[in-house]
Amino acid sequence: MPALQHLTLPNRRFALGAGFAVEAVKYFKYWILAAVAIAFLGPLALSQYRDIDLSTWYYTANIAKWFTSFVAGGFLFTLVPNMIAAGMTRRELSVAMGVFGLLWSAALGALVFAGILAERAYYGAMGWSQGIDAQGTISAIGTWGETAAFAAVYPLMYLAYFAAGAVIGAAAYRWENSGWLLLVPILPVVFSLDNAVYDTEPFGPAWAGVLGRFMEDWGRGVVLTGVVIVAAGLAVATRQILLDIPLRSKKA
Amino acid sequence: MSFTASLRDVTLKYKDTDALADVNLELEAGKIYGLLGRNGAGKTSLLSLLAAFRKPTSGEILIGGEPVWENAAVVSRVALIREGGDFDDADTVKAAIDTGQIRPGFDTEYALKLAERFELPLKKKVRELSRGKRSALAAVCGLAARAELTMFDEVHLGMDAPTRDAFYKELLAEYMDRPHTVILSTHLIDEVANYLEEVIIVDRGRILRHEELEVFQGMGATLTGPAAAVDAVAAGLEVLAEQQLGGTKAATVAALDPGARERAAASGLEIGPVGLQDLFIHLTEPTRKGA
Amino acid sequence: MFDDGTPIYRQIADQIKAEIMNGSLEPGGKVMSTNQYAAFYKINPATAQKAFRELVDEGVLYKQRGVGMFVADDARERLAADFRERFFERVLAPLVQEARQAGIAITDIIDYLEAQEGARK
Repeated sequence: MPALQHLTLPNRRFALGAGFAVEAVKYFKYWILAAVAIAFLGPLALSQYRDIDLSTWYYTANIAKWFTSFVAGGFLFTLVPNMIAAGMTRRELSVAMGVFGLLWSAALGALVFAGILAERAYYGAMGWSQGIDAQGTISAIGTWGETAAFAAVYPLMYLAYFAAGAVIGAAAYRWENSGWLLLVPILPVVFSLDNAVYDTEPFGPAWAGVLGRFMEDWGRGVVLTGVVIVAAGLAVATRQILLDIPLRSKKA
Repeated sequence: MSFTASLRDVTLKYKDTDALADVNLELEAGKIYGLLGRNGAGKTSLLSLLAAFRKPTSGEILIGGEPVWENAAVVSRVALIREGGDFDDADTVKAAIDTGQIRPGFDTEYALKLAERFELPLKKKVRELSRGKRSALAAVCGLAARAELTMFDEVHLGMDAPTRDAFYKELLAEYMDRPHTVILSTHLIDEVANYLEEVIIVDRGRILRHEELEVFQGMGATLTGPAAAVDAVAAGLEVLAEQQLGGTKAATVAALDPGARERAAASGLEIGPVGLQDLFIHLTEPTRKGA
Repeated sequence: MFDDGTPIYRQIADQIKAEIMNGSLEPGGKVMSTNQYAAFYKINPATAQKAFRELVDEGVLYKQRGVGMFVADDARERLAADFRERFFERVLAPLVQEARQAGIAITDIIDYLEAQEGARK
């Protein structure tokens, strides 16, 4: 990590967090580029056979949520032993992870925001309709303002998915055989909130959205507040799991 | 500034077994220590506590006089190199070395010099390295950490004899260049004995002995001669092991005081030294009660 | 390199003494540093230091702060007496004992040594 050269003790957790984000982007750069390319070129290919009335970027943005969880969990799972063995404290690691999450979510959120707006212009130019499948009926996202508002939520959603991935990654390292089971309570909560934000069919396993029916009547503001609270709660939980985490012993 | 290390009334439990029970240990700064013990005796547990890889169930661990747990100023200058190292296997060797820069004191230039000395392929992935090369990479990162307390836990595994020799040489050179506290945990006792200043023997979760190397080296003796004469001299001494071949007997005693030495010489017995490794084997014999 | 019986620091001290006696170290000459000794013999520097300390205590070496260790001017004379004493104690005494066990008479040994001396002349 080039970001690490000449770092000092008090700032290393921030530098490291930024370093993780850079590393993650570098590691997945071809995947990200491919996803962007498919999001723009996919509808072009598809338009040969049928009318385009769905936003491809909507799907890309949703896949990116799962991807974000995976990145957070996977990174943290490997980072715990490596960083602590490299002379970091658990507090420093949790701060670095927070910085990583914020930067990652902001960057990916910005990319998706730009993508969805660019898509609106692109669809407009092609005479297609940028819509989403809302509970069986396809409805257009709407005006420029509505599109921007629609896309602006992604950074926050990524943060929530990042925190969810991180807490599962930390738990899976800490409790070797059972930690990953934390998925069971976390997934439905995050997932249902996510669906409630867009008021759409669950994007993923339907059972995971089961709590959604309690949220159907909530206003958008309440749901977003819920997302913020859940993301913060998961971040705190990650930190708590990390704070006295023991390194696993080496297998003989 | 090298670090002292102390464990005070430290107990570490895994579920209900005691990995370490009520351990007290004081290590002075700037010495090379050997940590010996049979498999499962508690060596790795002890080192994990010193490096804050784990938290003790009870007791206190001070490094350089400060609690080590969650102390960035301390842990950034403490290095525990475990067997095979703690690397991200997907990283290249170069990236694994660069990760060491998390410690402000890490010396990248020195690390790269050592990597060349140990013929590490910088562009290869860590997971593609042989066991010996992986150990060498771990050793390189440990040396280049330029820590104030550096611990190597069975880092030699998979290294061939010339590589081990090169490692000991580099360790010694680094130590003389920049005095710091070193703990070597190893089963290759005779190979490292001369590098050590003090030796700690851990047995069944307790500190069995902690002495200067010379004390151990002067400790035991083997008496060889006619069985009756050997028995006469060995009577009243702590006998660690006995062997008989026809009428000739060899008895290894834990300590030979000057009086006994004279009697042995007078009865024409051959007095031989006991190497650290043999002494260790005898001292940690499972059938022995205490020591 | 080292035999197990005697402590290593004493073996190093003996080695230095031998070098002084056989002339490879001159009186007033500078001795290698403890670190150089440690690196050469692959031992802990504290062990080498202990050997040096012993030699300083015996007046064989002296220390000049910041410069290094030097061989005392009268080191050879000091050591000669020592060597003589130790020769009888460490070389001759066991020899006599072994000869006895083998049933060799002392006179046979003397005859042998005289013949050797005669041959050299």
